[in-house]
Amino acid sequence: MSDLPRLGLGLGLRHVHFDHILSTWPAVGFFEVISENFMYSKGRPRHVLRRIAERYPIVLHGVSLSIGSTAPLDMGYLAALKALAREVRAPWVSDHLAWTGVHGVNTHDLLPLPLTEEALRHVSDRVRQVQDYLELPLVLENPSTYVAFTASTIPEPLFLRRLTDETGCLLLLDVNNCYVTCFNHGLDPVGYINALPTDRVAQMHLAGHQHCGTHIIDTHDRPVAGAVWELFRLAWARTGGASTSLEWDGQIPSFAECHAEVLKAGDHMGAAFNPAHVVKEGSTGVEALSNPVGFLVPEVTHHLIGEVP
Amino acid sequence: MSEDLHALEAWMQGCILRPDRAMQAESIRAHLVASPTLSPAARLAIYQRGYVARLLQCLEGQFKALCHTLGQELFADFVAEYLRAHPSRSSTLSDLGARFPDYLEETRPDAGLPPAEREAWADFMVDLARYEWALYLAFDMEGHEGSPLADPATPDAALRPQLSLRLSRHAFPVDAYHHGVRSGLSPEMPAPLDTRLCVLRKDFRIGIFRLTAPQHDFLARARAGQDIETALRETAAEHGVTAGEAAEAWGRWRGRWIEQGFFVAAPS
Repeated sequence: MSDLPRLGLGLGLRHVHFDHILSTWPAVGFFEVISENFMYSKGRPRHVLRRIAERYPIVLHGVSLSIGSTAPLDMGYLAALKALAREVRAPWVSDHLAWTGVHGVNTHDLLPLPLTEEALRHVSDRVRQVQDYLELPLVLENPSTYVAFTASTIPEPLFLRRLTDETGCLLLLDVNNCYVTCFNHGLDPVGYINALPTDRVAQMHLAGHQHCGTHIIDTHDRPVAGAVWELFRLAWARTGGASTSLEWDGQIPSFAECHAEVLKAGDHMGAAFNPAHVVKEGSTGVEALSNPVGFLVPEVTHHLIGEVP
Repeated sequence: MSEDLHALEAWMQGCILRPDRAMQAESIRAHLVASPTLSPAARLAIYQRGYVARLLQCLEGQFKALCHTLGQELFADFVAEYLRAHPSRSSTLSDLGARFPDYLEETRPDAGLPPAEREAWADFMVDLARYEWALYLAFDMEGHEGSPLADPATPDAALRPQLSLRLSRHAFPVDAYHHGVRSGLSPEMPAPLDTRLCVLRKDFRIGIFRLTAPQHDFLARARAGQDIETALRETAAEHGVTAGEAAEAWGRWRGRWIEQGFFVAAPS
């Protein structure tokens, strides 16, 4: 953990910001890229990423590793991931404590695991295989979850602690996910963070969410909520300033707006944490989409030329 | 294999992919706990609603003109059926729409009728879907970038179609229609028109070019590996054109196609 770089404040790299980044080279600590968006690319996305990687640290963040699935690991996927990681000199590769499908299907959602001894053994085995293959630290993120299983016997922070103990993997603490999950399960987010092995946190995420009254959806489509900023104060202190990036994936605003949002983190670093400020917020309307993926589809028609009859 | 875990994952995936089949309240209560505010079924429904909605967003992005033409509601109905028939089996969403044009063709309401008796609008929808998928593929497939394109001085013997060059034939002028939609118009469904197209990517931009039948056939031969001379000769023979006329036509095509990035120069 101590060998990993502290990259400061970064942003999720999105197609709609490519031209702005290439023309202005903004002062960003690092970019986080969705691995699957680039690992198979033979066109502009990979080309742009190569150029950006010449000037910025790049970390890879996947959504299809499916570390918790009982389907076999996809070695073709891992080979492409490893090649991309080497190409951009990624210091680590992250994904989620989740599964995306079984029987060959990919739901393209980050589905929750029952937190059991069996699941812990299963995930630990796979984490070891993945780390051995990638020859890079694997960093696993706490997901936003909306269901809990009757079979679960291990609290999520303890599950993550035991996973890091058994495999040496690292953690991506998504502060927003922590808030969302804790609300959805009636848990205390401060207790959650305090129970995590925060010395194993390589990276943190910030994002916006939607409060639907009875539950919270992890929408990534708006600014970070005040309660999450307050939790970030605690997380920043406990992790000793882990590299932190913002995810903004739905109704993506201008690069300047995204950048300004993550820079707000500077106001909370070193600021006193007040658990009373981790308040429940009011409902903000009709349920939006969790884990939006529409942003992964590039706007092809912006790149058309040719003869129009 | 972790048997209990596998059974639970299979159960949950079934609930998400086919909520109409799997919604037995008893099994949901057996596997999931209530939150302080939601029942187990209401919590599971968040995943069920999100599954199709999330992938619908992607397919709307991959088939924008088709979605515009069908209208969002009908497009969403097609997508829901498509995902039921062909759930994603890829680690990337880039492949999500790969089977959508064929699916539309296979499930058209008049599929059992002879071609002459089929509905023109269904032909058009399939044609448009195939065209949009070709554009989507061209965006991110292997192209010439990194290797020099041919220039006017490149000898014919060294000309090779570049990697991203693809040829297609459509029953409707889908390129013009697509351009109309892209320009913010709502064009009427066009009348049938035998339309041959070349789609390629040059310097990461996608070019779309109308072709005549001889041009299309010539480029198809070149793509299949024939040298320029052989492809010209065989195309001329097929279309009843003399060698002199073919050479004259090639003289007209050559400069424009080289400028538009149709060819790379084979290493000598």
